Parts: sequence; structure tokens; C-alpha cells
Amino acid sequence: MNIDIIPIEAELRQDALLSWLNQPGKRLGLITSNDGGQIVTLLLDTADSAATIWESQMSDCKYSSLTPRITQAHWMERTMWDMFGLEPTHHPRLKHNLLHEPYEEKFYPLRKENDVVARSGHRQYHSLKVKGDGIYEIPVGPIHAGIIEPGHFHFSCVGEIIFNLEIRLGYVHRGIEKKLSEMNWQKQRFLVEAAASDSAAAYALAHAVALESCIDLVVPEKAQHLRSLALEIERVAMHIGDLAGLAADVGFLAISSSLGRLRGASLGLADLVSGNRFLKGFICPGGVIQDPDGNLSKLKAKAKNLQKELEPVVRYFLTNQVVLDRMENIGKVSERLAKDFGLVGVAGRASNQMYDVRHHFSAGVYPLLKPAIVLEKEGDVFCRAKVRANELVDSLAFIDMLLETMPCGSHSTNMPDALRANAVGLGIVEAHRGELIHLVFTDEQGNCKRYAIKDPSVNNWTGLAIAARNNLVSDFPLCNKSFSLSYSGHDL
Amino acid sequence: MTALLHWLTFLLSIILLPVLTLGTIRKTKARLQNRIGPPICQPIYDLVKLSRKGETISSTMCGVFRLSSLLAFADILVLAWLTPWLCFKPWAPHSNIFMVVYLFAFARMFTLLGSLDSGSAFGAFSASREATLSLLVEPAVLLALVSLGIFFGSSDLRVIFSHQTNQTFTDSAIWIAAGLAIFFSSLVELSRMPVDDPTTHLELTMIHEAMILEASGRNLALIEFAHALKMSIFFGLASQCFLRAFPQFNTFNVYSQGGLNIVGILGLALFVGLLESLIVKLQWRKVPEFIAYILSLSLIASLAAIGAGVIK
Repeated sequence: MNIDIIPIEAELRQDALLSWLNQPGKRLGLITSNDGGQIVTLLLDTADSAATIWESQMSDCKYSSLTPRITQAHWMERTMWDMFGLEPTHHPRLKHNLLHEPYEEKFYPLRKENDVVARSGHRQYHSLKVKGDGIYEIPVGPIHAGIIEPGHFHFSCVGEIIFNLEIRLGYVHRGIEKKLSEMNWQKQRFLVEAAASDSAAAYALAHAVALESCIDLVVPEKAQHLRSLALEIERVAMHIGDLAGLAADVGFLAISSSLGRLRGASLGLADLVSGNRFLKGFICPGGVIQDPDGNLSKLKAKAKNLQKELEPVVRYFLTNQVVLDRMENIGKVSERLAKDFGLVGVAGRASNQMYDVRHHFSAGVYPLLKPAIVLEKEGDVFCRAKVRANELVDSLAFIDMLLETMPCGSHSTNMPDALRANAVGLGIVEAHRGELIHLVFTDEQGNCKRYAIKDPSVNNWTGLAIAARNNLVSDFPLCNKSFSLSYSGHDL
Repeated sequence: MTALLHWLTFLLSIILLPVLTLGTIRKTKARLQNRIGPPICQPIYDLVKLSRKGETISSTMCGVFRLSSLLAFADILVLAWLTPWLCFKPWAPHSNIFMVVYLFAFARMFTLLGSLDSGSAFGAFSASREATLSLLVEPAVLLALVSLGIFFGSSDLRVIFSHQTNQTFTDSAIWIAAGLAIFFSSLVELSRMPVDDPTTHLELTMIHEAMILEASGRNLALIEFAHALKMSIFFGLASQCFLRAFPQFNTFNVYSQGGLNIVGILGLALFVGLLESLIVKLQWRKVPEFIAYILSLSLIASLAAIGAGVIK
């Protein structure tokens, strides 16, 4: 993909971005910086499969916040403040996102020259105070029951009804973006896969596509097929797992354990393709690591079998009257809010957002071959479950089709030793949670100087906070599960 | 000698039946999910393990927390001795319906106080949920027992549950309606599905489990055992109602009656396990609706009892 870099005055950015977002099919991809001396805005044009980067040079480290007019920028601006010390003025809720109190006052890990003054608002974190009669505050986490990742939820409730939910993340911040910019590209893929392990295939694919787009490399057709196959298998496994989680949260144990078993079966498909149940170490820049030709007929039979077994379980689950009762009209995100906050993936499509990266950007065999877009209108928990269920059916049919049309030839091509100097690479992939962006900038020697990752969860965590409002406290776990967001993918 | 034997069996039942009931439910659920599941005696091992463990007590708690679980346990023990939940009790004391119902409420009050004393956000909101539920379900339990009281002309459960008459169709109908009402309200009282999911790890949806989150070690063992004993008492009462609906039951000797009684309790546990695997937890807003159904069962039983009295 050819990416244009357009310089733009920092003051003009806001109006330009607003008029960009008002056009149909145009999206905001990512707002970040290279080294703190500029703001990089990644814009996506879904109609033309094109991406543009606006680069605004910064003379000082304050700029006027986009958030009051472009709400979806709020989270990215907070992260940028943490990482580069670029402070958005008039940001309505400026607080740190990833770097918590123990970090030094003047620590901006991704900034090249540490010339900024210590942050004006220090690192103390204050949750939004809700005042009034009968307001009851429930702090939950960061350590949760069960084995999920850490994140803090602060509920302000009126009786059993959630008035406001504030989500605080960053507990698993490991400095992955910085580490990636310091290592050889040959080694990066291992770290990238480990960054958010439940999306290993998607991360590896986005990474590979980003590096390949740096050097305009075209990988063989067979590799494209195998990559898409891996990505769809990951989607199937995770969607089944999420449906099982939803069943467990409504207390439907029989369905939950049946789906749990079928998730295991879908991980078995992954094993056949890659030799690893979690698809690790399979996709690499230049193609895939091995050719699973001998296993493909077995894979086809197993995928067919999975499809057959899955259908009645999912149908029984989603047609149960009490399940409908639990899920319908719970955790609603309206279409307008979904657009304003740029929701992606399952959560976006459940709120009628016509956006599936597989249809708009190239990675693997997409968008030449792709399953249909699954859309729902209401944006409640049930719609998100239904989008997952329907995508499961489509993905399994698509896996079958990929196996049917598997081309012959080589499964990988050689990568050059060094990347192109001063290049930009973009990998954009529909992970099972939604749009995943990897953005790579290289320096004069062709080394990676900045590696930016935008996980789908970055967009969708705010969606969860919106969905929880005005719902019962006891329905929150269900809302949470229906979004099924990643903590490590967000924190990086 | 027989008296001693009766006492021994009674004591053994108090100790063993609760854990077996709990174990049966867990085993059934595991089997229905294609898991092997823990052995039926696992709750005993758990209790022994817990009672050996150390205890963590938050510095913000006062003595109420420790004391409450002890008092609740004592209260349930008294109830086990008082109510005719087993038909082979060595010595049946006078047990007034109202006293029994409010002794249950008393035990609940202690649990609520304990969870409030813990001072955690979960403790407080689960206490509020439990209080709401008990408020709603209390008339259902009371009316179910009262319907039997009306029919047999006594407010003494001992008299009601040892009534030996030639049974008519009306008798059976009232026994069954009251039994169903007691059984379903026990699901609410014991915080089981479809009101509360006892297997969930989600604090935000819990009722009973969230109240005892802060308990550990011996204290937790006491609470768990008291809860299991309460379950056996409820299932014992319900199963006796069902058994007494059959006219033949009165003709059996005390040993086979006792055996059937125990089988009935474990059978209900099996049924609960089946129920919990196959039904979905109700939304919190729909729980009053569920309790309303139970209440109407109790009402039907009482009306039938009154009607039968008028006809007589």
C-alpha cells in the first residue's frame, strides 16, 4: 500500500480532520508521534483502500486538544501525553493512561530529547467524582477473580444501576513499542506475537504486512492463503471462546462447557496448520514458516466436523428465551456513539458500523476473497453475540473455501537483510476483536525507528464504558464479556 | 438402646447429609458438563481443609464479623433440631411455624451483619440484595407452611409432619403445592439458580458468595457448613411434603420412612444439579417475577386448605 505523508500545520489539523471524518468511509486510524517532535495522524480511506499520514511539526509540547470536537481522539491523546509529553490543552479528562504513579515525573519513554518540563498535572490519578444522594462507589480490580488480566473498574452507582463507569488500564504496560524500535526486524515477530497472545496470528500478520509494505514486497499466493487461513482459524477459536464466556456469565453451564470443548477443537485446527495451537511462530515477514500441505485434507474434514457440531449448540444458546431476556436491550451502544468513538470489529458491527478491515485493506487474500460483512443494528449484548455467531459460520465456510482454492507454489519468499531507508510501512488487519494497525517508520540506515501498534481494544474500551451506563451492576460482567477486550493489547 | 441409635443416626445425618447434598449437586453438574467432577464427599475434605487453615481478618472489622458466622451457625443448628426435616428424629420438640420462619430470618440477619462489617463494597451491595430477596420470599415460605397448618389445624410443624390420616386427593394436592412452594423458595433462600449462580467468579453478580468474600479459614468453614445444613433442612421439608402426598407413605415403618426421606433429599439435590446445568440465571429485575410464581403456589395451597376446611 502506498502511503502519502502530507505535512500539515498543527493548528489546521483539527478542522481538516473534522472535514475528513465527515466524508463517508473515512476513518481516523491512529494519532501518535515519532519522537515527540511531531504529531502523526493516520487517516484511513475505506472506500479506496488508501491510507494517508499527516505530519504536524511541533515547536513546543502543548497543542490544542482534538477531543472536544473529535471524541474518539481522547484516548490516543492521553497515551501520547504519557509517552511523548505532548500535552493536549482543553482535554476534558486528561489523566495518564499507561504510566502510573511509580514512574518518575519527567519520564517520557518514547521521546527522543527529554527537553520538556515536568508534566503540569502530576501523576496522581483521580477518578471522576459523582456526587449526589445515594451514590454508591464500587471499585473492582485491578486484580480480578478468575484468571483474566488486570484492569481497574470504578463504578458509580445509584442503587443497582450504573451511573458512570471509569476504566483504568495500564497495569500490564511492558514498553513493547519502545523495545520493538530497538531491535532487528528479524527478531521483532516473536515479541509482536507475545504482545497480545490471544491475537498472535493477527499481530504476526499485521507485523509482516507492515514490514513488507516498507519494501514493497509481494508474498507468494500460497503464503497469502495460508496467512488468511491462520487468521480465520484464530477468529473461529476466539469467537467460540467468547460465546462460551457469555454462556457462563448467564449461568448456562451446559452450553458453556460444550462451546469450551469446541474451542479446543478449533485450536486443534490451528495445530494442524502451524504446529502450534495458538498459531505462534507461523506467520513471518515474507510468507509463512512452513507448508502444512500434508495436513490440509485432514484440516478440511475437521473444519467440516466442527461446523456441524457447532451449529446446534449456538442455535440452542441464542434462541433460548431466558438468554434473550438477559441479553436483549442490555449494554446498548447507539449507532451515533459507535461512530463518534470509532468502535471497530464485532462491537462496531453490532452497532451498524459498516467496517470490516477484510473488505477494505489488503492483508493475506483479502480483500480479493473475503466473507460477507455481518451487521446488526441494535448494539446490545445480544447483537454482539449474534455478530460473533454469524461470523463464525462465515469464517468456517471461508476456511473451507480457502482450502478448496489453495494454490500451489512456494510458501515464502526471501526478505532483504535491511529494510528501505526512511520508509513507512502499514499493516492493517481484522483481528478477531477488530481493526489492528501496525505502523513502522525506518531511519536512514533502514532500521526501525518507531513501531506504533493500535490494538482494536484502544477504540473499544470506551465503548464498554458507554455500554455499561444505566444498566444493572449485575449485568456488567455480561456487557464486559460481550466486548471481550484485551488488556495487554491495550497496555503494550 | 434404640434411643441411642436414633440419636446417633440423627447426629450423623446432621453432619453427613449437608455435605452429601452439596456433593450430589456438584457431581450432577459436573457429569452434565461431561466432566468427571469432584467426589461426592469432596465438601467434607474442603471443610476439613478450611478448618485447618489460618484466617485473615481485615483491620477495619470489629468482632461482629467473627461472631456473626458463629451465631448464624448456632441458629441453623437449633433449626436442625427444631424442624421436622427428618422423620426419624429422636425427640421432636414443639416447633411453631412462625418461630421456624423467623429463626431462618434471624440467621440471615447475622450473615448480613457480618457482610456489612467486612466493609467491602461487595459485602454491602450483596447484603442489600440478600435483604431484598428475603423480604420478597418470606411470605412465600410462610404461606406454604401456614397452608399445611390450616389444613391440619395446628401451627406446630411436629404435629403437621406426623399426621396420620386416610388421605384424600385434596390432601395430596395440598402437600404437593406446599412442597413445590417450599422447594422453589429454598432456591431463593439458598441463593441458587435461577436467582444467583453459586459457581460464578463474578463478584458483581453474586449475592450469597459476595457476602462471604471476606471470610476465610475456620470462619468460612462454619459459614459453608451452615449454608449446606440450611439447604438440607429445606430439602428435607420439601421432600417430606412430596412423600406425604402418597397415601402409602404413612403405612411404612420408621426406618423405610427415614430411608425414603434421605433419598428424597438427595433426589432434590440431583434435581437442583440438573436445573442449574440447563437453566439460565434470571436478570435481577425478573427475580421478583419468579418469586411471585412461588408465592402464587403458596396461595393456591392456602386457598385449597381453607376450601377443604370449609367443606369438612
